[in-house]
Amino acid sequence: MDIIVCVKQVPDTQEVKIDPRTNTIVREGVSSVLNPFDAYAVEEALRIRDRFGGKVIAISMGIQKASKMLKEILALGVDDAVLLSDRVFAGADTLATAYTLALGIQKIGKYDLILCGKQAIDGDTAQVGPSLAEKLNIPHITYASKIEKLESRWIRVRRLVDDGYEIVEASLPAVITVEKGLNVPRLPSLKTFKAAQKKGVKIWNHQDILADPSCTGLNGSPTQVIKTFVPQYGKSVEILEGTMTQQVEKLFHKLSEEGFLFE
Amino acid sequence: MSMQGKYIQRFSEEYEDYLKDESRMIGEADSISFPKTEESLRAILFELKNHQSKITVQGARTGITGGAIPKGGHVLNLSRMNKVKGFRYDPKSKNYFLTVQPGVLLSELRQMISDKDFDTEDWSKESLATLKRFRKDQEYFFPPDPTEASASIGGMVSNNASGARTFRYGPTRNYIEGLRIFLADGDSFLLRRGENKANGRTFVIQTDQGRILSGEIPSYAMPDVKNASGYYAKKNMDLVDLFIGSEGTLGIITEVEIKLIPKPAFFCGMTVFAPNEDIALHFICRIRECAFRPAAIEYFNADALVLLKEQKRKNAAFSTLLEMPFDSREAVYVEYHGEEEEVIQGILQAGEIFVSCGGNEADTWLALNSQGMEQLHFFRHAVPEAVNLTIDERRRKEAGLTKLGTDMAVPDAMLEDVMHLYRTTLRETGVESVIFGHIGNNHVHVNILPRNMEDYIKGKALYGKWAEAVLKMGGTVSAEHGIGKMKISLLKKMIGEKGIEEMKGIKRTFDPEWRLNIGNLFEIE
Ligand SMILES: Cc1cc2nc3c(=O)[nH]c(=O)nc-3n(C[C@H](O)[C@H](O)[C@H](O)COP(=O)(O)OP(=O)(O)OC[C@H]3O[C@@H](n4cnc5c(N)ncnc54)[C@H](O)[C@@H]3O)c2cc1C
Repeated sequence: MDIIVCVKQVPDTQEVKIDPRTNTIVREGVSSVLNPFDAYAVEEALRIRDRFGGKVIAISMGIQKASKMLKEILALGVDDAVLLSDRVFAGADTLATAYTLALGIQKIGKYDLILCGKQAIDGDTAQVGPSLAEKLNIPHITYASKIEKLESRWIRVRRLVDDGYEIVEASLPAVITVEKGLNVPRLPSLKTFKAAQKKGVKIWNHQDILADPSCTGLNGSPTQVIKTFVPQYGKSVEILEGTMTQQVEKLFHKLSEEGFLFE
Repeated sequence: MSMQGKYIQRFSEEYEDYLKDESRMIGEADSISFPKTEESLRAILFELKNHQSKITVQGARTGITGGAIPKGGHVLNLSRMNKVKGFRYDPKSKNYFLTVQPGVLLSELRQMISDKDFDTEDWSKESLATLKRFRKDQEYFFPPDPTEASASIGGMVSNNASGARTFRYGPTRNYIEGLRIFLADGDSFLLRRGENKANGRTFVIQTDQGRILSGEIPSYAMPDVKNASGYYAKKNMDLVDLFIGSEGTLGIITEVEIKLIPKPAFFCGMTVFAPNEDIALHFICRIRECAFRPAAIEYFNADALVLLKEQKRKNAAFSTLLEMPFDSREAVYVEYHGEEEEVIQGILQAGEIFVSCGGNEADTWLALNSQGMEQLHFFRHAVPEAVNLTIDERRRKEAGLTKLGTDMAVPDAMLEDVMHLYRTTLRETGVESVIFGHIGNNHVHVNILPRNMEDYIKGKALYGKWAEAVLKMGGTVSAEHGIGKMKISLLKKMIGEKGIEEMKGIKRTFDPEWRLNIGNLFEIE
């Protein structure tokens, strides 16, 4: 089973600060990491390959520096890594990103399954996976919390919805976007790390994937950010007084009043 | 006797938590206070002196030998003395020095240092200027790392805490430049490293109030291993060192000046899974001889790994532990710090050594970034947590059970002997146990997990036997957790009646009324 995993390099949220004037993320001096959701996608791909055979290829669109992240993914035992990097890809919204990734994937050619993280934590749109599937004209299932069954022609997935979960099947090839907690992502072993040292990251520009520059990057992005702001929540704090038992009783009351306790 | 006042609360059920720490002992107390400043602390101490009340000092109560468990009297909880007071730079050594109150938690301190962000209320101009410089400078860090990051700085100093990285950086002691001490009667003084030394074995300290205190440093020889048993004692020693590791029996630490050193550019960790103990030990003995020294070498025996597998299966808090290679028996964790290139070389060399000892390259976990390191640290921290959970479970059936955890260290040459001793005697006795810990310093924690009182008694006997053997090997009965209330008989075995008497002499100098941290180090008379 040949699997493609889409991955993105994002700022390390543990270090992220918001510029209070512009309400945008301060990216200077912040180190980059693999988007946490994508780590689960990579792990799931590796597990499937280890069980069924085949190849796992990671693909990312990003700046040249993202090849370091792809190297780390190779060290996990991923077979190949492709970085789509070109000045004309810069400033892409979800539409342009999906367009570019779809062309990269078409150049790779053979695949049975495409895995993505549910969303990238810097934009939180969760749109790239589904729109990629549309570009490739294949089915997609989002928010997968478990792959229930995988056969050569179809897949059965448990996907999280607001009030529970659904079991959905799709024919292959398909795009699946995954939730956190689907698995526990592995660390590289010395063996896979050393093997990865001998591999390189393939870097493709817009000509390599036959992309129309008017559809990539800023040019290909109809999205306009009019305003960004930090949402204000009506937070209030109440301090419960009394002995520990009294406090517990008060807390219990509060919680049942607010409907947090059942029975 | 029960008191109540501006700062002092009568002890009530609401404070029950303050009778406990991570030793799982339960104490008793009449009153409690949470001072925020030295002024309020002094007022509390005067009040307590009037009542001749005993005082037990508490930090974050993560100690595991019961040091913070009150034995009646007053609980002086310092968790709210948690300000950072000042900052200084020494251009000669290129180190920064932070003055902190004892209640600051290690986790908070780390965060502030890495964010370069401090609450600068009441800071002097010099401190503010230092901060400005610090912000432009490279990254710095505070190396002591006693696994439990919710420990307080006061507690760490009182126990001379250490941990995995002690292998490279030494214990907390090495990063303490100054201490401010309050005696039980409210007198205070400042000790700065290099400024007050013993003359041979005699020492003199003058308090801020003008009182002169003098005494004799004990004559016992400290073992040449990582050690947290009894007072630090050396001819011509620095008096700062007397208070570090004194477990709150001499004075109350109200301010600590800690040293920050440049942070290595790159950190990397690797856990290797060995098919058996011989391979693991052989690997350990060889990598610690390497010219590029690891920062930490940690050990997990087969039973510890089985316990983790079990907890991962049944406990949600452990579900994100990494999945272990299937046929793994024992594990060793090594960590390297330095420039990226040398660190990677160090890891690759460790890998080669592992293979030449009979290990398999595929059975390793490599952490090359902070998330990976977190995973491996979590895995390490999970062992004592899993032990505690297991003991808690068993105590529900048999309330008298406690964990029996050793904290002994031996000299390098004795590592294989002591591991052999643990293994054979445990097998003979048939008690359940796990072994893990700071094996780079020949310092593993053997934790006996008694299923019933019979196991418990057998375990206690084993414990005594090991202590004797370890002392014969030139080791120590407590390398990092301290003696507290649980290891007093072992300390006696280690330094003898005479040593205890000499320690008592020092205690009398600083706490003549014998009111401070009663039950720590010395039996209650
Ligand atoms: C899961 C786990 C793992 C651990 N691993 C390690 C480890 O690897 N290495 C290690 O060294 N320890 C370890 N510990 C033990 C513990 O974290 C340390 O001993 C720590 O130094 C205790 O700090 P504390 O603030 O909790 O002190 P407390 O438990 O509150 O007090 C410890 C002692 O210090 C005294 N004290 C506290 N503050 C002051 C003060 N300001 N002035 C005078 N005396 C004071 C107390 O009276 C008491 O005797 C571990 C604990 C846990 C729970």
